[in-house]
Amino acid sequence: MLTIKDLHARVEETTILKGLNLEVKPGEVHAIMGPNGAGKSTLGYVLSGREGYEVESGSAELDGKDLFDMEVEERAQAGVFLAFQYPVEIPGVSNMEFMKESVNAMREARGEDALSSAEFLKKAKEACKHVELPLDFLKRGVNEGFSGGEKKRNEIMQMIMLEPKLAILDESDSGLDVDALQVVAKGVNSQRDGNRSFIVVTHYQRLLDYIEPDYVHILSQGKIVKSGGPELAKEVEASGYAWLKEGESA
Amino acid sequence: MSQWLAHVIERAANVDDWLSPVRANALAQLKQKEWPGRRTEAWRYTSLHKVADLNLQAGSQASAEAPQVNGLNSIDLVFVDGRLTTDIAQLQLPAGISITALDAKSEAADALFAKVKPAHHLFGLINDVLAQQGIVIDVAEGSQVEQPIRIVNVATDGVESHQRTLVRVGKGARATIIEHGAGNEQSLNTVFAEYDIADNAKLEHYRLALQEDQAIHVGGSHFRLHNESKLNSTLVGYGSQLTRLDVDIEHAGEHAFAKFNNIYLLAPHEHFDLHSTIEHAQPNGTTEENARGIIGDKAKAVFNGRIHIHRDAQKTLAELNNRNLLLSRGAQINTKPELEIYADDVQCAHGATVAEIDEEALYYMLTRGIDKQQALVMLNFGFVQELLFQMPNKALADWLQPILRQRFERMMEQK
Ligand SMILES: Nc1ncnc2c1ncn2[C@@H]1O[C@H](COP(=O)(O)OP(=O)(O)OP(=O)(O)O)[C@@H](O)[C@H]1O
Ligand SMILES: [Mg+2]
Repeated sequence: MLTIKDLHARVEETTILKGLNLEVKPGEVHAIMGPNGAGKSTLGYVLSGREGYEVESGSAELDGKDLFDMEVEERAQAGVFLAFQYPVEIPGVSNMEFMKESVNAMREARGEDALSSAEFLKKAKEACKHVELPLDFLKRGVNEGFSGGEKKRNEIMQMIMLEPKLAILDESDSGLDVDALQVVAKGVNSQRDGNRSFIVVTHYQRLLDYIEPDYVHILSQGKIVKSGGPELAKEVEASGYAWLKEGESA
Repeated sequence: MSQWLAHVIERAANVDDWLSPVRANALAQLKQKEWPGRRTEAWRYTSLHKVADLNLQAGSQASAEAPQVNGLNSIDLVFVDGRLTTDIAQLQLPAGISITALDAKSEAADALFAKVKPAHHLFGLINDVLAQQGIVIDVAEGSQVEQPIRIVNVATDGVESHQRTLVRVGKGARATIIEHGAGNEQSLNTVFAEYDIADNAKLEHYRLALQEDQAIHVGGSHFRLHNESKLNSTLVGYGSQLTRLDVDIEHAGEHAFAKFNNIYLLAPHEHFDLHSTIEHAQPNGTTEENARGIIGDKAKAVFNGRIHIHRDAQKTLAELNNRNLLLSRGAQINTKPELEIYADDVQCAHGATVAEIDEEALYYMLTRGIDKQQALVMLNFGFVQELLFQMPNKALADWLQPILRQRFERMMEQK
């Protein structure tokens, strides 16, 4: 599904990713953990093609296609979805028109007909229900005045509607209360179909109790420094990242 | 003096009704006025040369359909070329509201006519002397009128017309008034409206100046706010051949609140001029004014936003923001914020900026597969749509949204 090889990337003058390797196969869930500032969000931005994030070397392929050769919207249309750590507010654009435009752009890219208003509405209602987001959120400006938790649920709602091949969830659990965490996890799990892959960035093992990962990676200073199974998340939860520094000085 | 104005003064002599004494006073002032030229501050960026030699038919017997707004369920008062075509005797009115024609003498009309509108507006004076028809709405103390009242003015081909609106919202009462203008053929139509909002009263107000193409529309909405009253007003305008609007909001009482949003969307070659003046004469008043415009190729917008805080108006909160999006190099905006503050304990913010694309929002949209061109259309339109979302009347907002969106998309194609 996704193959990242020796990725070096910088933001402005600072190199943030320094030789990152990752292989995600269809249907797999990979959790990425790591200290603040390690480069986790940067990875999502680089993969999605955010302006200002420059690839210095290395490659990223989605089903054999070079991601870095595509525009931002083409990557999305090819099936990459990024749930933002800090979703953007767009006050003048309603969530409804935003999603409709988005769903239909994806359909068009796949050579499918645009959804009728009725079909779209039905789908949107279902997606909202999945993440327990009241329907009137569709009428509001995109993320406008949404609480932190509502924004995260809105991201998952979008993911459900857009049916990506690969979803990168950047701290979709942070700022959520216990119930909302379960709602988000349930939303994600409902989309696990054996083919769709997930990269779940999180600071807390708690989320991984609900979304069980196949692999857990520790990202530190722009590289994956350790990989393992779910038990690795438990180690992090218990003892933090102090060992990273020890490793450094040793 | 222009030929047209000389003709107005001539015609004014023939107007004879119960308002004649007030009209005479206006006429005397009008005779003192000079025809605006480049050096006339209030008309500096708007030339009246298209009006100066106009020679249109005064009034008509034309009939025309009023634009329908689905789901609005309003009480409609339809004027065609300044002539009331609705039989007001047949209207089913909610309790606590009286609607009469201007030509019928009434205490309310007497209390309002030329009493709220400042006398310095040239076309206001012209309307004073020539507007023989209009509507007088009196909302009794304490009445909560849910149903919106819509005053429609349609201008037809080759006609000049003048129409007046007078509204009094009694103490603690509440009402919704929509001024809805339409017409696209060569015409000159003036509509001036005066609103007196009593203590603790609430007025929800809309002015849709949807005249386009060849139409010329000049008018004003003038509000006097008494103690603890609230005004929520939205103005939506196109440019037409020439659209000029003057809005005055006077805080005549304490603790009054005014929210005034305006949206203008100018197709190529249109001209739109909005002058707003907020008078804070009393302490503890609040004003929030937001003006946003999108200006098409070779169209011109003039925005003059004045806030005047009098010496006694301590603890005033006033904010005015004007943002403009120019769709091409040929689009033009003259924006002039004017702040005059004579009280020392006030909070004021006043700004005018050219709108810029929010890069983060654009990126977010692209990551959802929306192509750049479409994302820019959505963001640019979103810039005015944001104010549409703030309209309390959802039926009206839902009706306007696709109409404005289509206009905007045509503007994008023509740039
Ligand atoms: N525009 C920028 N210019 C310079 N440095 C930047 C810029 N944007 C991000 N960085 C730096 O890149 C590093 C990685 O940031 P990133 O947001 O990827 O971290 P993260 O692992 O997601 O952290 P967190 O857990 O706090 O979300 C940080 O040190 C950050 O300060
Ligand atoms: Mg981050």
